[in-house]
Amino acid sequence: MNYFINRVIYLLAVFVIAVSGIFVLVNNMPGDPAYGLAVSIAQQRNMQIEQALEIARSMMGIDPDESLLTRYGKFMSNLLKGNLGYSAFYNTSVNDIISKSLPWTIFVISLATLLSFVVGIFLGALAAQKRGTVIEWIISTVSSIIQAIPPFILAVLILFVFSVTLRLLPLGGAYPVDVEPSFSFEFIYKMFLHALGPMLATAIPQMASWTLAMRGNTSQIMEEDFIRFAEIRGLRDSVIARKYIRNNAVLPLVASLAIGVGYMLGGHTLVESIFNYPGIGFYFGKAIAVRDFGLLTGLFTLIVIGVIVATFIADFVYSLIDPRVKLK
Amino acid sequence: MTKESLMNFYLDYIQPLFKNRKSLIGLIILLIYILMATVGAAVIPLDMNSNFAERYQKPSLKHPFGTDYFGVDIFQQIVHGSRAVISLTLLASFLAVLIGTIVGVARGYLEGIAGKIIDVIIMVFLVIPSFPALLILSAIFMDKDLNVLQIALLVAIWLWAPLAKQISAQVLSIKTRDFIEASKILNMPLRYILFNDIVKLLIPYIFINFVMQIKGAMEFSVGLMFLGLAKFDPTHWGIMLNYALYQAGALYTTQGFHYLFFVILNIVLLIYGGILLSQGIEEIFNPRVRGNE
Repeated sequence: MNYFINRVIYLLAVFVIAVSGIFVLVNNMPGDPAYGLAVSIAQQRNMQIEQALEIARSMMGIDPDESLLTRYGKFMSNLLKGNLGYSAFYNTSVNDIISKSLPWTIFVISLATLLSFVVGIFLGALAAQKRGTVIEWIISTVSSIIQAIPPFILAVLILFVFSVTLRLLPLGGAYPVDVEPSFSFEFIYKMFLHALGPMLATAIPQMASWTLAMRGNTSQIMEEDFIRFAEIRGLRDSVIARKYIRNNAVLPLVASLAIGVGYMLGGHTLVESIFNYPGIGFYFGKAIAVRDFGLLTGLFTLIVIGVIVATFIADFVYSLIDPRVKLK
Repeated sequence: MTKESLMNFYLDYIQPLFKNRKSLIGLIILLIYILMATVGAAVIPLDMNSNFAERYQKPSLKHPFGTDYFGVDIFQQIVHGSRAVISLTLLASFLAVLIGTIVGVARGYLEGIAGKIIDVIIMVFLVIPSFPALLILSAIFMDKDLNVLQIALLVAIWLWAPLAKQISAQVLSIKTRDFIEASKILNMPLRYILFNDIVKLLIPYIFINFVMQIKGAMEFSVGLMFLGLAKFDPTHWGIMLNYALYQAGALYTTQGFHYLFFVILNIVLLIYGGILLSQGIEEIFNPRVRGNE
């Protein structure tokens, strides 16, 4: 119990410092968040830009004389109430945008994680067992080459090949604009089709790293004494491969699974922007472009919460599945 | 250093690199790009003047990688861009390893409240999503003309934390060994224990990590340039990628496919060289992970 209290205090300190750092960074970005709105007001009402700026600021609730510290205080007290702030560009609360966009991101990330983990474990174990054969060479070489492709370039390539050239996948969005969301077969099929591009762009690099990690773990465990001993005891090869080698090799990977999901939340920004997929990464890219400081800080905070919770779960899961690790 | 210790260093650390197939191929790839950046950039002229008569030429003897939207030779741009790409990547990796090592050793060695504070700092950098944070940080400096060192530092700030965590774990395990106790009992100064006992043992590990950082540093710096968030050499491959995709619209015309292809090919090949070298080094120092030989 003592462990949990210590751990929670530690992670809370990390959270507060991380979020404060982000707040300062974001609010030091150049550019006036009210400028975009001011230009359109000036055009509509045919007035001077200075005047329009004032109107825009009052519409967006921005007080230029307010100090950074006051804004920080407001942000923190809102955060305590579970309110992640206000988006000036979309003119709505950040919580609204998150409840609209997070499900899409979770949908894509969970599909990608499931696919990459299962395939990666399978390929990695296969490569380790076929050591020295062509199969191992192909699996490791392809995985290494995939790792050398930056994820956003992979996303561009997928978009280019499947959406632009072959026209198999849609160019953007989470579902077609002309179809009403429903539980019909057609809608669900279209939804999967729209998610496929971002899903592959996220899953393929993950798959490569799971494969290489699983291959490394498996070949390490195959050298252990208890495997020798199991062989001497005359156990069948298939039993050794499944129960002794694979289970032990997967164990450390299960713990990193949670952390991987946390980091994917952050790494998904560019992929979603490239595919125009309306998850939190897409809104993040938009917020940088239009200098929506409130939305930026709110989304950052959400991702940090995600990573911290994932870390906590990973520690806990690891202690559950590996009795040698005691939480202290 | 005596002749003998130099020889030993060669036998222990350098020779195995040539004997392992992966590290050898990785070294060759990296060497080609380093030659490209040094000799190539000095020998091959760069003509950035637009020549619309020759736009989107397919690869030929005159233009090995073809020409771009403005009729400028792509091969020349790749060669000259390699200087910016390699210097930025190596500097950023070096800075990340330097910060990671200093913070990691300090965290591993210090006890009590000071150690806890450093631990929290490392964790803060681990939980902040690094690429988005890099974007914000560079947007702050976007209007200023930054030099290579400053941009490398912007990138390195978001790369050092995982390394610091690993190094601190290593230091914690070295710390409990007997010879450290011996140095302490002999009242050796802290500086001696840190540099002669601890860091010396970590040097191969730190070197491996320097090579491993190449992937991250490349990805981040190319991504940064690709998004147009830092002003830099216009032949940097990330900026070329930005031009190819967004200015010239290579994504939507088949005409410009080679433009996109050669820029991406060079980015991926350079990172692949780094990955192969680091996989080779890992196999050399950790024979258990050795795979297909």
